[in-house]
Amino acid sequence: MKENEIDGIFRQEVRHEVDPELLSRISASMAGSMRPVRPIAPVWMLASLLVLISAIISIACAGSIGMYGIRKLSVSEIGAIFPALAIFTCLAALLSVARMTPGGFRWKMTNAGTLLLIIVAGWVALDAALFHDYALGAFVPQGIPCLRAGLVVAIPTGVASWIVLRRGFAVRPSSAGLAAGTLAGLAGLTMLELHCPILLAPHVMVWHTAVVPLSALAGAFLARIATSPAAPAAHNPVP
Amino acid sequence: MPPDAELETLMVRYQQGDADAAGELVTRLSPAMHRFFMVRFVSRRFADDLLQETWLRIHEVRHTYRPGESVLPWLYAIARNIRVDQYRKVRRLEDRERQVERLPEVAAVERNQGPDLEALLATLPESQREVVALLKISGMSLEEVARATASSVGSVKQKAHRAYEKLRELLTAAGFNKVGSS
Repeated sequence: MKENEIDGIFRQEVRHEVDPELLSRISASMAGSMRPVRPIAPVWMLASLLVLISAIISIACAGSIGMYGIRKLSVSEIGAIFPALAIFTCLAALLSVARMTPGGFRWKMTNAGTLLLIIVAGWVALDAALFHDYALGAFVPQGIPCLRAGLVVAIPTGVASWIVLRRGFAVRPSSAGLAAGTLAGLAGLTMLELHCPILLAPHVMVWHTAVVPLSALAGAFLARIATSPAAPAAHNPVP
Repeated sequence: MPPDAELETLMVRYQQGDADAAGELVTRLSPAMHRFFMVRFVSRRFADDLLQETWLRIHEVRHTYRPGESVLPWLYAIARNIRVDQYRKVRRLEDRERQVERLPEVAAVERNQGPDLEALLATLPESQREVVALLKISGMSLEEVARATASSVGSVKQKAHRAYEKLRELLTAAGFNKVGSS
């Protein structure tokens, strides 16, 4: 049996009636609350706004506690770290917007989890290429404050992102939360790169990087609990 | 005017508060959407409920449609979301696996009337069934299905190909070598 013959079966069965009464009821209920609405802003505008918010919050926070980190970095390190962070932030912003628009634009890497993995792997690889001092130093006592500071910066970024994206409608809330959480985590990571003067490879690879997945998971978790169905099922689908 | 452009025009008018455009969209798009719900082998009443709920959700989030973009991927992404939500709610109430095993027999028994589309589709895994329903029942393109399901065109093609392979096997085994031959 050929493919076009199977298509023929679908064509034969394509006519499908819906109860006209039901359609009238639906139309009437929609007409009852009809008013003009403003379409959601274009993708580029929302994504740019998210990138801007992320940059402002991370720079403002680093500025308020001191930009010691960037002063210790060489020109080549600055030239590698900040463009990479900018690219990651743009990708996370685009994906956050895509995830908040039903059937919206897509590119090959549509999965928020994939983006998170790429960012984490890319960032660790970049750190390995730039920082060669593998001394542990005071690994945990120095690491915890960095992790905490990064996550603290991620919170206002996440809240601001939610305000920007709140008019959207996430068809996959946990994926949307993961993307927005990744974006917020990147703001925390950017702040740490501007602020933290500790350039030991283990410190940067573990404590700085950890801000991104932790923030992403928190975003996914919050989105999931915020949208979890509270009421039990009211329908019985059994024919 | 091509159907897609007509839908886009209706959608823009709907966003501008035109109740007639909303009614026209409901009339035009509901049969395919209802069928999309039915291929999940739910009851007609449940499909009616899903359809109603989907339109209510569409009404709530109609501002998320961007003028100039295809209407169907936007609409089916929402429909799909409603279906998944409702399915999760009622999953415990029935044993779907048992139905899946039984339905191919139904397809074979009804030879004299031609193959039963719902029964045939019920034999496919959920992801393949959804892709076939969107492509063949809702009439969407590969690109539109990829958008509606948040996946890649390659993945949609692969699922459609596998679904056709399985449908071909089932139809051949049931004696439907050619459409209309039975």
